[in-house]
Amino acid sequence: MRQRITYLQEPQDAIDPSTLKVTKNSISTKSLIAAREERITFSLEELPLELVKVLEDSHELHIRWVDQEPYEAISPLVSRMSPGLHVFYTPQRNSNTSELLCPMLKQTFSKTLKCESPEKSFTALPVERFSHSAALQYYTPLPNLLQLVLYILQNVCDTGPSSQTVECEARALSLNSASYIDLNYDTISHALTLTTFSSPQPQNISLTNLTPGSSRLEVGILSIEKALEAEELSLGGFLAVIGEDTKPSPTLFSFPSRHHPTSQTFTSSFKLPTGLHPTLQLNISDATPPMDDRSCSLHAHLTLPKQIFADKYQLFDPLFMSSKGLKTVHYITTPVDLEAPEYAVDTWGSSLLIELAPLSTTTAPLSTAEIPLHLRYLRPNSNATGQAKTEIPYPVLFWACTADEGSKFPINPFDRVNLGYDGLFGPRTLFWHLDPEVVESFGGEGGERLASKLSVPVLDLDGSRWVESGTGWVVGLGFAWVLWCLLGVWRGSGFGSGKKKEVELDKKTQ
Amino acid sequence: MAGFFSSPVLVFSSAIALRIILFFYGLWQDANSPMKYTDIDYYVFTDAARFISQGGSPYDRETYRYTPLLAWMLLPTTWSSTWFSFGKVLFAFSDIVAGWLIVLVLKNGKKMSMERALKFASIWLLNPMVATISTRGSSEGLLGVMVVALLWAITQRKIALAGVLLGLGVHFKIYPFIYAPSIVWWLDDEHIESPKPAAKAGRSRSLITLAKNFLNESRMDLTVTSLLMFLLLNTLMYTKYDYPFIQHTYLHHVTRIDHRHNFSPYNTLLYLSSATASTHTIKLESLAFIPQLFLSAFALPLLLAKKDLPSTMLAQTFAFVTFNKVCTSQYFLWYTIFLPFYLSLPSCTLLSSPRKGLLALALWVAAQVLWLQQGFQLEFLGKSTFVPGLWGAGLAFFAVNCWILGIVVSDIGALGRGEGREEGVVEKRGEGKVVVG
Repeated sequence: MRQRITYLQEPQDAIDPSTLKVTKNSISTKSLIAAREERITFSLEELPLELVKVLEDSHELHIRWVDQEPYEAISPLVSRMSPGLHVFYTPQRNSNTSELLCPMLKQTFSKTLKCESPEKSFTALPVERFSHSAALQYYTPLPNLLQLVLYILQNVCDTGPSSQTVECEARALSLNSASYIDLNYDTISHALTLTTFSSPQPQNISLTNLTPGSSRLEVGILSIEKALEAEELSLGGFLAVIGEDTKPSPTLFSFPSRHHPTSQTFTSSFKLPTGLHPTLQLNISDATPPMDDRSCSLHAHLTLPKQIFADKYQLFDPLFMSSKGLKTVHYITTPVDLEAPEYAVDTWGSSLLIELAPLSTTTAPLSTAEIPLHLRYLRPNSNATGQAKTEIPYPVLFWACTADEGSKFPINPFDRVNLGYDGLFGPRTLFWHLDPEVVESFGGEGGERLASKLSVPVLDLDGSRWVESGTGWVVGLGFAWVLWCLLGVWRGSGFGSGKKKEVELDKKTQ
Repeated sequence: MAGFFSSPVLVFSSAIALRIILFFYGLWQDANSPMKYTDIDYYVFTDAARFISQGGSPYDRETYRYTPLLAWMLLPTTWSSTWFSFGKVLFAFSDIVAGWLIVLVLKNGKKMSMERALKFASIWLLNPMVATISTRGSSEGLLGVMVVALLWAITQRKIALAGVLLGLGVHFKIYPFIYAPSIVWWLDDEHIESPKPAAKAGRSRSLITLAKNFLNESRMDLTVTSLLMFLLLNTLMYTKYDYPFIQHTYLHHVTRIDHRHNFSPYNTLLYLSSATASTHTIKLESLAFIPQLFLSAFALPLLLAKKDLPSTMLAQTFAFVTFNKVCTSQYFLWYTIFLPFYLSLPSCTLLSSPRKGLLALALWVAAQVLWLQQGFQLEFLGKSTFVPGLWGAGLAFFAVNCWILGIVVSDIGALGRGEGREEGVVEKRGEGKVVVG
């Protein structure tokens, strides 16, 4: 097991190194304001057997979970994803998809996950375009990681050496305060990496490496410095390998970064009334490109659970698109069933990458774009006057600019890929991220969450008691009426033309 | 006005002018407004044609649920942006040809004066709804020309041609199969010009003799040619496009699960039962095909076809659409094309009794308006109008349709009793005499 824990600070919060206490096998300090990134690398032997089985069936497996509550990002960890649980999966070459993946996800994330099998529940990603994207995608809203914490407590902490139980439990519980986590596995590295990010907050550090021989613990306390190159980020501070170093060593380094921050923000909400064809309205604080010497374009990446979808055939006419502040659809999951009700769809939903050309508003520099979407029929309900509440996670908004040195991004120790949208661009792309802001929701319920809510009209079961019998009676009566008229015809002239039969009929009736 | 209808040139130039104006208006609106005049289906057809032109399958386009023939016909739309509108011209042209065939059937089959025939044909030719639907790029006009050509061929005793058209029509849109029983039933010795009085006089009850008499040459020819045509087209398409052809053209209609609100009386029930486990052992909606097929493919042909074939085809189509599990306003075109034949019947009470005719029209429109109003509330305002609004409006529309169908049936039946056979009798005949019961 290898661990790397990094505390990221704003320059004004930067720590005084004299307050850092480093001993033979521990590091500690008090009242530090910092974000924290924790990266733990497990070898397969250190993992529960059932998990290993799933990994062995995978060529690549990337799981991301993002908190639905807004969090403050900090350089270099500024990349964003839609809140919820994302899974990107490539099965082992020349083999079928794993039958164990969905049960494993249910066991580790939520028992109520709607995941049957990768064939049924996942959607395909375009693998042919760029090789660095996984083959299959899955998403589900997930408000917290309680199930994962429980799983780790039961299957990792309880089965490990008892000397480490307390430490293990504390670390597992700290997942509850994570803003996002990444789980990465691929056959080449043959190791599972768990990355946890918690947003900036005051905290104490007290870290101990209990088994310095068999595991490695590296700690960094870094703050952002001014970079020399536009594509680069620069960090300065202290690094220490606990158990090896006796004092923190000062450091300053720069690296080309794929993801960059902007000071721009956006909100996402549905225009009222939503009806069955809701319009998602994106309000962007300021749509000025972040770099003036490159070509940059603003994109929205939407993760749409299956109850709502975009119709790609509607989003092609330039006149229509520009009237909505949109430019081009660059990617949409295919196929997307355009007709089926929500409860008849097996796949998780669809994702959409759309280039924006936001329209300026009267309150410049605020600009806006509207994405027309469509609702599926949802299940009928009762005691809700025929309305069902639903929501979609916030989209991700970013500027994509061409990079000079795309090939060097992987040397960034904080590089983050497999986010759903990065694979849809070439490797030489810079992403400048806009920060999501919560809108005051109608009715105020739900609190501060990065979700766009809407109400969907459904069949009200309270008023549907007579639908079956009523339909039966009306259709039956209508049918009977036509039959009655036909009977009249038959009695009058039979089924012939009537021209010659009249005589015969007269004879019969006598 | 009398002068207008006495001139085929005037009527047809007006019909063509109407379509040309709508066609160019549509081009203008498409180029200048984000709201498109062109029907969404037209993009489906032309996308499918493009896939074919690139060597692919039309079923590469999602929601293409038609025969590849349609996409083939629209291949010119892939040539250039000007040719893109070729399909609309083709559909509008089909409208006009269909209108001409209506005139021919009325004039030759029903021995009607040109002026009278043109007046009735104008129900189709000068109908703004028909012209709009075609110029927006909906293919119903193409189907219209096929079924009227079928009727024309039958009335001209061109049996082989009729068989080919029937096979083609069924291949195109399935529902024209309902015309097979009525045409077959109609093709008796009385209607084909080789009367065999001996057979009639014999009155033999032997099953073999009956079957022999029934299976006359025309009936055999029609059956064989139509089946051959149908099989030929399907084999051709199947060998070329394999399973997706069967799946999208035919099986889709059996397995479809979409039930977004439409005019069908079963609509709300289908939504309800698709989402909830029914407590009943027999699902009502799975029996829906029984009244629909019993009427449109059996009872109506059997009792009415020999009295007046064109009006019977109206009644059949009307019944098929009314009792269908899915019903949208495009389906109304399927029966509108037969309306001139029924309305020109001397026994047609909807015209002879204007009060009744206006009431029928008013109710038919009113039920739709009610439904559309409820549909708008649901679709655009997000109000849950499924029950009782949409459900009730759908049932009301169904009831109105059934009432009208009853009138049509009785009117065609009245022909059999010799009522209104002479033009002059129409005015004298009382209303109550016709409405049975």
